[in-house]
Amino acid sequence: MHINFRKSVLGGAAAITALALTLTACSSSDPEATASSDAPGATSSGGASESGLVSGPALVWAIEDASVNAINEDAITTFNDATGSTVKLETFANDPYKEKLRTGIGSDNQPDIFYNWGGGNLKQYSDAGHVADLTSWLDENPDFRDQFLPSVLGVGTVDGKVYGLPMQGVLPVVMYANKDVLAAAGIDAMATTWDELLSQITKLKVSGVQPIALAGNQAWTELMWLEYLLDRVGGPEKFQAIVNGDEGAWTDPAVIESLSMIQDLVNAGAFGTNYASVGYDDQGTIALMASGKVGYDLMGAWHIGALKGNGFEEFADSGSLEWGPFVSISGGVGDPNNIVGNPSNYYSVTESSPNQEVAQEFLLDTLTSESYVDALLEIGQVPAVAGIEDKLTDPFNKFTYNLVGNAPAFTQSWDQALDPATSEAMLTNLQKVFLLDMTPEEFGQAMDAV
Amino acid sequence: MSSPVTGQGRPSFVWAVPAFLFFAFFAIVPMIVVVWLSFTSWDALTAPTWIGLDNWARLGSDPILMESIRVTLGLTAFSWLIQTLIALPLGVWLARPGRSRATVGAVLFIPLLISSAGIGVLWGMLLDPNFGMAAIVGPWIGVTDGNFIGDPKLAFWVLVFVGSWQFVPFHALLYQGATRQIPASLYEAAQLDGASYLQQFRAITIPQLKHTIVTSSVLMIVGSLTYFDLVLILTDGGPGTATTTLPLHMYKQGFRAFDFGYASVLAVILLVLGTTLSVVLTRMTGFAKMESQREGL
Amino acid sequence: MTIDTTASGPREPVSNVRHPSSNGMGKARANKKRNRPAWISGSLVAVWTIIVAFPLYFLAVTSLRQQSGYIVDGPLALPWPITFQNYVDVLTGQFMRYFANNVIVTVGAVVISVVFALFAAYAIVRSKSRLLRRFFYFMLLGLAIPAQAVIIPLYLIINELHLYDTLWAIILPAAAFGLPLAILVLVGSLRDIPGELYESMELDGATPWIAFRQLVLPLSRPAISTVTIYLALGAWNGFLFPLVLTQSQDVRVLTLGLWDFQTQFGVNIPGLTAAVTLSLVPLLVLYLFSRKQLLSGLTAGFSK
Repeated sequence: MHINFRKSVLGGAAAITALALTLTACSSSDPEATASSDAPGATSSGGASESGLVSGPALVWAIEDASVNAINEDAITTFNDATGSTVKLETFANDPYKEKLRTGIGSDNQPDIFYNWGGGNLKQYSDAGHVADLTSWLDENPDFRDQFLPSVLGVGTVDGKVYGLPMQGVLPVVMYANKDVLAAAGIDAMATTWDELLSQITKLKVSGVQPIALAGNQAWTELMWLEYLLDRVGGPEKFQAIVNGDEGAWTDPAVIESLSMIQDLVNAGAFGTNYASVGYDDQGTIALMASGKVGYDLMGAWHIGALKGNGFEEFADSGSLEWGPFVSISGGVGDPNNIVGNPSNYYSVTESSPNQEVAQEFLLDTLTSESYVDALLEIGQVPAVAGIEDKLTDPFNKFTYNLVGNAPAFTQSWDQALDPATSEAMLTNLQKVFLLDMTPEEFGQAMDAV
Repeated sequence: MSSPVTGQGRPSFVWAVPAFLFFAFFAIVPMIVVVWLSFTSWDALTAPTWIGLDNWARLGSDPILMESIRVTLGLTAFSWLIQTLIALPLGVWLARPGRSRATVGAVLFIPLLISSAGIGVLWGMLLDPNFGMAAIVGPWIGVTDGNFIGDPKLAFWVLVFVGSWQFVPFHALLYQGATRQIPASLYEAAQLDGASYLQQFRAITIPQLKHTIVTSSVLMIVGSLTYFDLVLILTDGGPGTATTTLPLHMYKQGFRAFDFGYASVLAVILLVLGTTLSVVLTRMTGFAKMESQREGL
Repeated sequence: MTIDTTASGPREPVSNVRHPSSNGMGKARANKKRNRPAWISGSLVAVWTIIVAFPLYFLAVTSLRQQSGYIVDGPLALPWPITFQNYVDVLTGQFMRYFANNVIVTVGAVVISVVFALFAAYAIVRSKSRLLRRFFYFMLLGLAIPAQAVIIPLYLIINELHLYDTLWAIILPAAAFGLPLAILVLVGSLRDIPGELYESMELDGATPWIAFRQLVLPLSRPAISTVTIYLALGAWNGFLFPLVLTQSQDVRVLTLGLWDFQTQFGVNIPGLTAAVTLSLVPLLVLYLFSRKQLLSGLTAGFSK
């Protein structure tokens, strides 16, 4: 029983796969969800049989992940049995998969459906004309389309066209707090605004604890602060400009202001003094939170699984652990309902696939079907499918689900959205900003130069 | 080339061919390939394409290059100094007979068995500022918040220290073996002359160990030039770039940023630096050896 | 160009190799008066012993500690109640697979290196070919090549050979990089075999193969075991080749696995210490039962 949130720390391609979204923690077993396991196509309209077009076997490529693969295999079997098609799943280990995809796509032995990370990862293939535009097909099946949470579907959308459909759970980054620690400092509710957070930091310091946990030994944890702050200060467009490689995007005033706010936090002692020695993978911030040494922590939704899977079940279930959205910033351009993190993984259809119709039917029959949704819930994932509130019994899952459902924009983790070289330089420089070794302006200039 | 078989019953050069081919293929050919790669742009997904000197031209604007060379040389120099200062007396002490010495030796040599990866992971746990040993030991030595690997200056010294923890036993072992081969007659003569312990150490032990000192130094210097496993696991070059060594910089440029062309430039620099140093040190070794070998026998 | 970090000159490049046969030689029987305590080295030894012992103590006690106890008790307290659950957890995970991979890699690399090196060393010592002398210097060059500097081309080559992410990807380069030292040590040992022995065999009409089997193999056994230990330790603890040349769990070795445990176990420090301890077990057993041989193997080719 373990959580494998950043499995790609090993191997070469660490950066691009940095936030591999495989949450294999013990699920918060949902008794209702375990019950049904049949009739996948029941809820969806149409059906492959109508099309009558069954050419060669439609091939699905995905990365190895025992629990998710099993769910896909089940769905494929059901689909094949119902329609007489021959859809087939092929899986690959994480890093080789990317290589396989890059070289395979557009070639003769390309898949019909392929697993991807959405965002920048998907864009490179759609820009090259290798990915089928699903927009008009989705317009014909509005019921199906509208079942996906818009902010998550947005990450599978490039230039207004839908190229990818979410096929896994959502993992937004959220704020966690230790209620007892806050109370001891005379704070009765988690901060909802930046100013509140600043004043609470002072109170927490006075009460003798470190206000916010930070695993500064691993720069991707620091990145979450920049991701949220820039989104709040300047809106998601600012990061989009960075992704697009617009000139001066890194020296945009909003970026500089966000970085200054980070340094304000550091100067205010929000992260204590030894944060740069703390790692997430080894000892990390979880122990700090569970042992009541910090008030807040900003981390991905996998954090709860990490707590439960590593001997802190007691704390996770004690009621001391609280969670909430990232604070709003007055005067900021971004919608306070926006979120950042790992939206999902996506299935896309290849442009030149001879089996496009079968592929589309398979996605239509599967992704929002009750059995697929239930199966994902059963392994602890929260699918990006609308209208499943009733199935969510776990309060944390309910919270993240609603958070994602209400979010106008879901910005993908930067280290995943950017190309590996930029990402590597960004993480190094960001660590220097947190150490006050680099000013926000220097950061912007260094990054513009990459 | 005339007949390779010289003399009846002698092995022909064919016996060496497997070793030769094997070594050439995995060590010599790569040395040539890395030079070629340094003139290409390669992201490991598409074939390398020739771009001439573009990668080399980037050296000047690489903000990490000079720092990484400085870190590497600093690490090498201080590792050499500290490890020698500890390993030499340790080895001499362990060389002498005695039950307690043997017991201490048995414990001291255990780090030799642990892999760099294991040592990195172990010290990672020990250096956690909140729950590890760093929280306990830190305050004794003036680091009240246990912030060792998070402090750009201290992180460097942590690497020097943990590197010593790992490698001092090996060098102490070398010195122990060498000390045991110093003829006892030398010390007996010195004692007859009334030489003190320290005098004996300076007049007999050190000169007799000269060759071992050189060997050990060469190994330390060449070894710490290529410190990699430990740095990667313990600090990953951080905080910021404070402990980014040249090999780590190369690794990150290659296997994280997928800029294999530029990473190959860094690899060539490492290759030149490593082999030059070895040649220079070998010359010194030969020199030192001539005058110290079997002195006084 | 000779780049031999351990040998001296062109004529006798291996004279400083310590031969196992001479291990017992020269153990100076120290005069008792020399044993008088020197407080400087004594206190240095004491301090260093503590520095070495504490992390080992931490490793041992923490691996027996209950998971929840780690945060509460602190790192140094004696574990109570003692639990072996951490070991059970590690052993029931992927550990045994990594362990098996490690054994395969180590055996494979060592066998290839030792066999090829023995053949080559025999030829170098007995053949009169000039080519082989050059070859010997060429091999010594290998001692100076930092593996990191050629890891990128190796990655390319292994990919081209379609060996990426297989155990061969680790075994082949590790064996190749083990060759120079193996040849160095074995040549030293073979040179010690008196030439008359070879000559008498040759007079009897023995082929090189017979001489190799009846003379070289038996007489170089101590050197072979020294080299084997040295290479095996290197292969067992290797990190760079597996890191770069393999990827999936099926072919993961222990060193990489340890690093992976760090991620897998998250904050489970006791589990991590158990994994580190278990990775040590085979060497520790070897150390306990044949310390002398293990230690002399470690310094193969480097001690006087």
